[in-house]
Amino acid sequence: MGGTLMLFEVDRLTYRYESNAALDDLSLSIPEASRVALLGANGSGKSTLLRVLDGLHFGATGGVRFRGEDLTEEHFSDDQWAFAFRRQVGLVFQNPDAQLFNPTVFDEVAFSPLQMRWSKADVKERVMETLDWLQIGHLKDRPPHRLSGGEKKRVALASVLVLDPAVLLLDEPTGGLDPRSQSQLIDLLVEWGGGPKSVIIATHDLDDLADIADRCYVLDAGHLAAEGSPDDILADRELLQRTNLVHAHRHRHSSGEMHSHPHRHE
Amino acid sequence: MTGHYHPRSRGGFIEHTIDGLHAAMDRAMYADRSASGRGALQQLDPRVKVAGIAALILASAMAAKLWVIAAVLLAAILLAALSYLSIVTIATRVWFATATFSAAFAVPALFLTPGAVIYTLPGLLWTITSQGLTTAGFLILRSETAATLALVLVFTTPWMHILKALRLFRVPVVFVVILGMTCRYILLLLENAHEMFESRKSRTVGPITRGEQRRIAIASTGALLSRTFQLSGEVYLAMQARGFRGEVYILDDFRMRTLDWLAAIGFCALTAGLVWVGR
Amino acid sequence: MHIPDGYLSPTTCAAFYAGSTPFWYVALQRVKRALHTRLIPLISLFSAFCFLIMMFNLPLPGGTTGHAVGIGLATVVLGPWAAMLAVSVALIIQALFFGDGGITAIGANCFNMAIVGSLVAYVFYRAIAGRSPIVSFRRVVAAGLAGYAAINVSALFAAIEFGVQPLLYKDAAGAPLYCPYPLSVSIPAMMIGHLTIAGMAELIVSAGLVAFLQWSDPSLLKTTAGNAVRMEGAERRRKTRSLQPIWIGLCLLMILTPLGILATGSAWGEWVASDFASPSVGQQIADSSLHQAAPTRAPQGLEQMSQLWTAPFSRYAPPYIRSTGFGYLLSAMFGVGLVMLACFLVMRLMRGFLVGRPRQPAL
Repeated sequence: MGGTLMLFEVDRLTYRYESNAALDDLSLSIPEASRVALLGANGSGKSTLLRVLDGLHFGATGGVRFRGEDLTEEHFSDDQWAFAFRRQVGLVFQNPDAQLFNPTVFDEVAFSPLQMRWSKADVKERVMETLDWLQIGHLKDRPPHRLSGGEKKRVALASVLVLDPAVLLLDEPTGGLDPRSQSQLIDLLVEWGGGPKSVIIATHDLDDLADIADRCYVLDAGHLAAEGSPDDILADRELLQRTNLVHAHRHRHSSGEMHSHPHRHE
Repeated sequence: MTGHYHPRSRGGFIEHTIDGLHAAMDRAMYADRSASGRGALQQLDPRVKVAGIAALILASAMAAKLWVIAAVLLAAILLAALSYLSIVTIATRVWFATATFSAAFAVPALFLTPGAVIYTLPGLLWTITSQGLTTAGFLILRSETAATLALVLVFTTPWMHILKALRLFRVPVVFVVILGMTCRYILLLLENAHEMFESRKSRTVGPITRGEQRRIAIASTGALLSRTFQLSGEVYLAMQARGFRGEVYILDDFRMRTLDWLAAIGFCALTAGLVWVGR
Repeated sequence: MHIPDGYLSPTTCAAFYAGSTPFWYVALQRVKRALHTRLIPLISLFSAFCFLIMMFNLPLPGGTTGHAVGIGLATVVLGPWAAMLAVSVALIIQALFFGDGGITAIGANCFNMAIVGSLVAYVFYRAIAGRSPIVSFRRVVAAGLAGYAAINVSALFAAIEFGVQPLLYKDAAGAPLYCPYPLSVSIPAMMIGHLTIAGMAELIVSAGLVAFLQWSDPSLLKTTAGNAVRMEGAERRRKTRSLQPIWIGLCLLMILTPLGILATGSAWGEWVASDFASPSVGQQIADSSLHQAAPTRAPQGLEQMSQLWTAPFSRYAPPYIRSTGFGYLLSAMFGVGLVMLACFLVMRLMRGFLVGRPRQPAL
């Protein structure tokens, strides 16, 4: 049997939501130990794709394989199979308020291992470890409505990292954060990743792309518009404009010239 | 807040609603802060507190003598003081509101209760009976006492501990989780609603008709409703993504120490005594 | 109305905790079966929303403001069992953490508003909405009336719970230990406020939000839609002369009957033989009869006929019920029940007679 086992294989996937094709005949392959960025404007389907990769949605046609195994509803109805998958793949949602549904930070991070029936002692130990690694141990009894945006993102991350997954999926992780928190988060992800672990980030933010990803996939209206290295993608201005990742309008530089070229506002 | 019907409110419903939301958020925040204080009750096991305070509320409910209820109220004030809850806070948060409502309910009883007449209002010829006075006393004292005890519990115990302690009363885990999640999202929706109404207020220039006010109320509520459904869908996915399969498991980690046992015995004895004397 | 502590005796409270528990249990089983893993997030979030609704000060026509509970909306969107749970959770949190409503009274409050309320709302909504399409105005009206009915029936239950207290719980000197107002006071007092203010608030919230959902996301209204017909282009809706509004009206009237206690004296012409002998009633008769003096003895014919039949519930007061108000209500329910039974029997007979005839095709 030849060929390496792919981490994720998406095969002609179509996913419909309210009669819109959120993902339309999409195919891509993500190899093991990748650092991947899914790029696209809002509505391009990247959030949906992440959720399909995490086995939360199932396509109408086509399929997804994780390390050779099909992600089907049937498979997920089996407890053991589902637990094994959820231990290996973790998803950090875009909206931290949806992800932080427990009364305290400690309860939140403990939720996953508890549902997987770990012993109380193991749960407590692992939770404290994770909180300390993310430097939020002092927040353990805090309720989520008393956390700042950056703290919420860290807790959301902790709640997923507590299981030590092999693959981390993140939906707009830096959204709504101030610049310092953003760079801290990026550093954390870089520190955690590497080696056999994979990180797949969905974002429309083109900063720090080279730091977080080796490979980029550009999504546009549910289709795969392009794939390549960060340098390739960033160099292709026409692509970036077409997929609404940058825009162009007429503006004046300090030298007095009036022209238009693709750019992003800081 | 119980069944109050305001006459034409000067501030308009937005003002009143904002005040109500603000008061609720304020109360939640104060409860958070005082529950992590260093007072006597804060140190106790939440199960002892929940059972003990419930027992005292029961004692005040069962008492057939006014002075017994007053004794429970005194005990509540004492517990509050030992837990560094300021009496002023209690007075403003509980006593004033409860007293006005109970008094409004109880005053007609002074005149309507049959029995031994002790006073006749000049002019109107309405009679006050001693039974009426006693009944009004029962009503006001009982509601004050119960409200004070509830406040003492909530202000000395983090709310999730209270909910987890309900397991003592055989409340199913799924209910405890639902109650906890509801509390958590009430606080989020309170903030959202507060922001929404504040921004609405700042955009409103001049008086608006009551019909328009109603329309605004429904539209805002509708927006909140949409947000509620959207959130519930996302939370559902988030729970599944973290391994939730239908049976939910929580971590409740309460251990009784000597102090807790002593307090439990104390509560028991006090309640038994009061119930016996008050019957 | 959120009953505070101290208005109901511990025995009453315990009875309602016990009464609510089987409903909560059944509701949990049914909702778990229907929703599976969606149960927790949906009930929790909707409870939080209900809690917020209870805090909104709604301006009402007429110059007052009121608060809604949200039971009408909850029932239409979630169905009665899930609504029961969601509103119970909101009430529990309101009482426990925000000091609104009593803790001993949680059982009674949940029973009145969440349990009875959701069942009443469901029956009214399904009856009035019938098979109309999900996005029809009729459903908006149905939701509004369902909420209105639910709140008023809840208030009636609360009023009865209040009114029974002074009969049963008194101290040694005869002072009522808990609510001191008997049914004749508690029922009118509660119903007047709820038929006007609280009921109006609930109606506006239920109708308004169902209308909103019809516009923004009708799929959320599917749970209680029953056999709603789909609106298809040129299909003309059949004109059905539904009897349901009449049933609804009957129920409403029945609920209002205890207000009759407030009327003093006898209705004109409804005198019994003994009334003529009594001087005070004789004066009443004269006053209401253009000041013509009444005979001091009952007319012969009246006396003879009055021996023929002794009513089981004479003067709407069953002899074994001590409270006039309760007796009144019992009589009303009994009376309506008898009339309904008679109508039902007649309908069955007629349908049996007509079943052989071919049906008219729908136009």
